[in-house]
Amino acid sequence: MTLHRAAFVGLAIVAAVATWLLLAGPARVLGIDAGNTGVFLLMAAGWGSLYAISRMPDGGLGETMSRGEWRAWLGLAFTLVIAAYSIAHAGAFQGPPLPHNPDANRVGRNVVMLLVAWLILAHVLDARGRPGVRQDERDREIEARGAGAARLALVVILVGYAALLSFSPTARLDWAVPPLIGHLLIVALVVSCAFEYLVIGVGYWRDRR
Amino acid sequence: MGNGTPVGNMIRRLRFERGEMTQQALADACGVTRQTVIALEAGRYAPSLELAFRIAHALGVRIEDVFQWKGDA
Repeated sequence: MTLHRAAFVGLAIVAAVATWLLLAGPARVLGIDAGNTGVFLLMAAGWGSLYAISRMPDGGLGETMSRGEWRAWLGLAFTLVIAAYSIAHAGAFQGPPLPHNPDANRVGRNVVMLLVAWLILAHVLDARGRPGVRQDERDREIEARGAGAARLALVVILVGYAALLSFSPTARLDWAVPPLIGHLLIVALVVSCAFEYLVIGVGYWRDRR
Repeated sequence: MGNGTPVGNMIRRLRFERGEMTQQALADACGVTRQTVIALEAGRYAPSLELAFRIAHALGVRIEDVFQWKGDA
């Protein structure tokens, strides 16, 4: 148990360093883009988490928590980091259009890499584990509630954007250039995904509490 | 759904009366995950009618021997 705790503490430190590199770290570390390093470290922490879960003894959290719950909590962590990174670097999209804006290109590339990393991890999480039933009616019920919550969150955010753009004086909308509006729409999608994972994770947690 | 459903059940007792059938064995017999059996036994999840029949069949009893209504009406 101590070894598992140490492993999870180590993974949490790696994930924290990755998040710091993505959100507030220097632009380059040892000549390497800090965003790329952050993505790599975050993916390593994700892989490490999956390995640690698979090595848990019977009766531990690995047995008590269902595959869907692990997926939800890991998904929430990834989508929150992606949303925070996107918001923290939104200023890069206030420049010229993307083909002529290397900063925005770098941010966009890192966002795509984080999304791809999460898709790969989610696929591995779905594929591994003991054979047998992977999803049943309770999982589907919880996921349906999560999807409903995500839809509601997306509607609220988009209505908020629409109201902001429609009712604000034009002089106060200098920041709202097309690339930034496009970026904010992507952020809305990511935040709605985070909300979905949160509702799913809480649903599972309430069932086993 | 949520915490505490109005449907009570005797799954845990019936499992032990059938040679200490494991949660995993019951889950496999009913086509659900072990975590769902845990949630059912804890009274935190009310199964669909189909799953209730599957559980009763797997335990070799009638559905009313497994599930009871604990609500007001």
